[in-house]
Amino acid sequence: MSPLDRIANVSILKQHEVDKLYKVESKPAVSSSEQLCFLVRPRIKNMRYIANLVNADKLAGRTRKYKVIFSPQKFYACEMVLEEEGIYGDVSCDEWAFSLLPLDVDLLSMELPEFFRDYFLEGDQRWINTVAQALHLLSTLYGPFPNCYGIGRCAKMSYELWRKLEDEEDGETKGRRPEIGHIFLLDRDMDFVTALCSQVVYEGLVDDTFRIKCGSVDFGPEVTSSDKSLKVLLNAEDKVFNEIRNEHFSNVFGFLSQKARNLQAQYDRRRGMDIKQMKNFVSQELKGLKQEHRLLSLHIGACESIMKKKTKQDFQELIKTEHALLEGFNIRESTSYIEEHIDRQVSPIESLRLMCLLSITENGLIPKDYRSLKTQYLQSYGPEHLLTFSNLRRAGLLTEQAPGDTLTAVESKVSKLVTDKAAGKITDAFSSLAKRSNFRAISKKLNLIPRVDGEYDLKVPRDMAYVFSGAYVPLSCRIIEQVLERRSWQGLDEVVRLLNCSELAFTDMTKEDKASSESLRLILVVFLGGCTFSEISALRFLGREKGYRFIFLTTAVTNSARLMEAMSEVKA
Amino acid sequence: MDCYTANWNPLGDSAFYRKYELYSMDWDLKEELRDCLVAAAPYGGPIALLRNPWRKEKAASVRPVLEIYSASGMPLASLLWKSGPVVSLGWSAEEELLCVQEDGVVLVYGLHGDFRRHFSMGNEVLQNRVLDARIFHTEFGSGVAILTGAHRFTLSANVGDLKLRRMPEVPGLQSAPSCWTTLCQDRVAHILLAVGPDLYLLDHAACSSVTPPGLAPGVSSFLQMAVSFTYRHLALFTDTGYIWMGTASLKEKLCEFNCNIRAPPKQMVWCSRPRSKERAVVVAWERRLMVVGDAPESIQFVLDEDSYLVPELDGVRIFSRSTHEFLHEVPVASEEIFKIASMAPGALLLEAQKEYEKESQKADEYLREIQELGQLTQAVQQCIEAAGHEHRPDMQKSLLRAASFGKCFLDRFPPDSFVRMCQDLRVLNAVRDYHIGIPLTYSHRYKQLTIQVLLDRLVLRRLYPLAIQICEYLRLPEVQGVSRILAHWACYKVQQKDVSDEDVARAINQKLGDTPGVSYSDIAARAYGCGRTELAIKLLEYEPRSGEQVPLLLKMKRSKLALSKAIESGDTDLVFTVLLHLKNELNRGDFFMTLRNQPMALSLYRQFCKYQELETLKDLYNQDDNHQELGSFHIRASYAAEERIEGRVAALQTAADAFYKAKNEFAAKATEDQMRLLRLQRRLEDELGGRFLDLSLHDTVTTLILGGHNKRAEQLARDFRIPDKRLWWLKLTALADLEDWEELEKFSKSKKSPIGYLPFVEICMKQHNKYEAKKYTSRVGPEQKVKALLLVGDVAQAADVAIEHRNEAELSLVLSHCTGATDGATADKIQRARAQAQKK
Repeated sequence: MSPLDRIANVSILKQHEVDKLYKVESKPAVSSSEQLCFLVRPRIKNMRYIANLVNADKLAGRTRKYKVIFSPQKFYACEMVLEEEGIYGDVSCDEWAFSLLPLDVDLLSMELPEFFRDYFLEGDQRWINTVAQALHLLSTLYGPFPNCYGIGRCAKMSYELWRKLEDEEDGETKGRRPEIGHIFLLDRDMDFVTALCSQVVYEGLVDDTFRIKCGSVDFGPEVTSSDKSLKVLLNAEDKVFNEIRNEHFSNVFGFLSQKARNLQAQYDRRRGMDIKQMKNFVSQELKGLKQEHRLLSLHIGACESIMKKKTKQDFQELIKTEHALLEGFNIRESTSYIEEHIDRQVSPIESLRLMCLLSITENGLIPKDYRSLKTQYLQSYGPEHLLTFSNLRRAGLLTEQAPGDTLTAVESKVSKLVTDKAAGKITDAFSSLAKRSNFRAISKKLNLIPRVDGEYDLKVPRDMAYVFSGAYVPLSCRIIEQVLERRSWQGLDEVVRLLNCSELAFTDMTKEDKASSESLRLILVVFLGGCTFSEISALRFLGREKGYRFIFLTTAVTNSARLMEAMSEVKA
Repeated sequence: MDCYTANWNPLGDSAFYRKYELYSMDWDLKEELRDCLVAAAPYGGPIALLRNPWRKEKAASVRPVLEIYSASGMPLASLLWKSGPVVSLGWSAEEELLCVQEDGVVLVYGLHGDFRRHFSMGNEVLQNRVLDARIFHTEFGSGVAILTGAHRFTLSANVGDLKLRRMPEVPGLQSAPSCWTTLCQDRVAHILLAVGPDLYLLDHAACSSVTPPGLAPGVSSFLQMAVSFTYRHLALFTDTGYIWMGTASLKEKLCEFNCNIRAPPKQMVWCSRPRSKERAVVVAWERRLMVVGDAPESIQFVLDEDSYLVPELDGVRIFSRSTHEFLHEVPVASEEIFKIASMAPGALLLEAQKEYEKESQKADEYLREIQELGQLTQAVQQCIEAAGHEHRPDMQKSLLRAASFGKCFLDRFPPDSFVRMCQDLRVLNAVRDYHIGIPLTYSHRYKQLTIQVLLDRLVLRRLYPLAIQICEYLRLPEVQGVSRILAHWACYKVQQKDVSDEDVARAINQKLGDTPGVSYSDIAARAYGCGRTELAIKLLEYEPRSGEQVPLLLKMKRSKLALSKAIESGDTDLVFTVLLHLKNELNRGDFFMTLRNQPMALSLYRQFCKYQELETLKDLYNQDDNHQELGSFHIRASYAAEERIEGRVAALQTAADAFYKAKNEFAAKATEDQMRLLRLQRRLEDELGGRFLDLSLHDTVTTLILGGHNKRAEQLARDFRIPDKRLWWLKLTALADLEDWEELEKFSKSKKSPIGYLPFVEICMKQHNKYEAKKYTSRVGPEQKVKALLLVGDVAQAADVAIEHRNEAELSLVLSHCTGATDGATADKIQRARAQAQKK
């Protein structure tokens, strides 16, 4: 499902005399329509596609009307390309300032999956403006945000740009009562670890297994137990899903079977009914029950399908390795596991993910492993991944440990330089150096690996670690928790330093005490570069525990596979 | 009070005219007005005098002098006229002085004598010289009409958007017309001219002869003509001393008058106002002023001095060396109130209020009288309106007091008309002040002009503090009011060349601060316009919106600064705009160098190049000696751009070289391996057929095994040093896929497996071959034995092994595999073993 489907689906478009829909991709659309309308992201690639199409028409002596609608905004570079391709005069351009798509009651998505690669790999800041505009829109709707926190360069830039927008258009929001008490901006590169872990909360697992697109999932025949695929919207309106989405997968089956029994019991009630009661039952309850029944069987199907897939890949081993990496023991064993994973060609994306997880938790791979794993990987999955590795290195996801500790002094100097605002000027060569993850130290500082006596009870979770079977509290969520508790970064200096963000963590509180206590419980969390369903579940849990209500704004919902794919170079 | 109407002069039965002094003039004129070229701007605007206009001597002392005064005679500017001889002066609607020279060049000056620009009225005018010129105003702006020496007319209806129009020829015109004027009908400017007894109307295309209806006979020449302020009426003065008054369309006659003076008048202007009762014309001779209208008698004034008439929308201003007066028809409200023995409600109210102040009971009587007639509302309105028409503050006050008094007896009188009048009068009195010298009347000029334009005029006179006070007093929104004025002030400030850049910038910032609506970039643009680039840059520093700084910086050719500002703004679009600008402006090398210091711009440009200019991208990396990226670039080219195998290998070679330079031996080696592999795959395709190109090494070997080319596969594995572990996995998988169990068994025995034997069991089970799987269970190492046995479903033996190992985890694992009745015995066995272990 695409964002457009959520807003105007095919039938609505047809009502408005849209003849046919095409995807903007490599192959040209063959259409006999007199007018073509392109709804595109402002990317040069798309411009070339349009240019090729228009120029082909020109060659064939055809004239039609072309309209290009850029969403969320038009970029000068795109117009340049249209001009260079000689079709600027042939098309008319428009903008559709669409930036926020509500996917659920507490989830807003900008549906910009490319944000991650553009910003964190290519260093392209084009979307920061879009983020600022979106925040501006929210503040015009919900009043000013009295408490703002953030961490990361992108967060800081977006925040500053947003403030500028507010200042320029002053007056509008001033004096309004704030409806949302806090806003927290967080860069994805503050916490790659969480995003790289296998998800075991139901919604996350569904995303990992079936890929949720725009809040909707395609359940194949193996789930629907028919010969058709089914598009299912996954949100709070699905009552069954709403109850299991945040649950650890090990509880889901039990819950579903309990639910099935209840449902059966409700069906069974009709046995003892007289005619009148029966009439009531049919007219009022039956429809709901049937609906619930349908959903229940779908989710049970999904669970079965997940189970099948996961056991095939020796899911337990995988999780065990991940936990070992997070905790930092048996590194050698984990490394051989990864090597075996690569050698057996289990999955290029999975292998890559494990390598990255190893690199980040260990502050980079030791040179010997770095070389051998890469060699193995290239042998298994093809030489073009040499570029993938170069990308990962640049993004700081897969790096080589600096030999010895002698370099750390230089590094810390460099990283200090890099975090300096003026030194956005540092060239690429240094940027990977700057991104030492320091995961181990942060983990210790923030107590990310809970000490467990006995079994961690996943049915009655104690902390956010439950989203990873009790083995690890998501770093991103822990940061948010800590800052909210303190209402500032005070006392977190060491963590901030370890995150290489000494200059990039900010707090901004307005003195005026207009915010009602209700609004102060409402928190908008902005993930720049995407967030995972596990993080959402963890924060929902935190909210229930502490009496907060979180609303999520993300550039896109992501998961480990999406992150890795964004970094991969694939043959066109 | 008794003599309040003393200066009222009746014209006919219905209307009164009054003349009162606005200012006694402050100027110290040495010449008589008649020796000067005079131009006074309407709406109480400034007066320009050009002294000695006709002297042509070169001596400096007698050169013409151009002087500009406010309406109260305060000097605003004085400059020596150094250009050519001037034929005519006039003010544009924007209060710019237009000086029409004999050669058809029009010089434009500001209010303070600052030269703005010049333009020419065309070649024809240049050749034939200017005989006469008029500046006129239309709804489009200010126009210039010129009569040339060849008796042809050229005009431009708007000097702001100069379009010259040459009017058609008047047939048989031998000499200059005796008088002429511009008319404006249906938004088109025409010219009406008089030649002897004939009148001609010139429009775009044609010249037509016209005759005013009801014109008295015996006219042999027209001496003077006048068009009213709104171009609606026309007056003609003939050599018989006869005045014809009618509509400007010459379709209707209003009235006529015979003044019996045959001398040509110096000036003739209309004196009326919108909705006036009487339409009158003021005619001035050397020492006599006459107001004539539709009445047998005229009003006559004696002029003590040489005077000059300025027509206004609602009257006529008359200024001379010593005084400045205003002549107008008494407005209705004033007439009603002040007419002798008037019983109008307003008059009674005024009277009542006066009695009230005297604490006389008569006040009540008057009030009662008005109330009985039910006219109190009307009375209050009349007083308010009349106050607006008064020039003297004391009269304004007494009328307003009366209105306020009357208001007390009204239940529901909306206060805004009263409040607004008080405010307006306050503003009007302020600008009418002698020092400011803008004698605006309330009813028409002030309202017609609007407060915005009035503020503009104050700004034009550099009266910034007064303008700001007015804004604050009227509570105008900052953006329209104070901010705008401060911005104008700042624009003026940057023109002060004697003040240093720092001081100007600081002064401006101190005053303006962060006032909303002030655009520092506009001010900077002005500074740049004055040639103060450095100041402009300093001012731009104060501009909070980086986006606004960039265009001007680009214009000032500070592209690099523009680039860093654009980057600061966070607007990638802006950055890109600057980049393309830079790309055209700088040579390639410099451009690249600039990029090098701006990673954000660089990455943006790279993105662009990646899709649009691949070669440039390569050059960029080359320039930076960025061999790593260069290598990556060629790698990409090896599979994206090149298709022939030779080309691909060559690209890879270049990439490998680059990687060596980047000291990335790993990548270099990997690339070289890939070259070897590519060549080999090519050979394999040639020799064996099938598809090998672009497979990974692993897949190549697998394909070979699946194709039964075991030898080749092993050779390849050796050549590329495939580690044993991988090879075993690979072979294992491939053989199982082939279901070649015999070969698999042989392979398993070839030497000790580096990956253990559990994978053998697993893979056989995956293919559902329990029989084969069981073959390997015995060879599985002890720590994985249980797992292997469970895999093949031998729970009992697994239990034995686990018990033997005394391993709790293994025991539970086996136990979890025990199902129902079949494994009951085994389960018991395990439980016993467990119990035993615990005992120990």
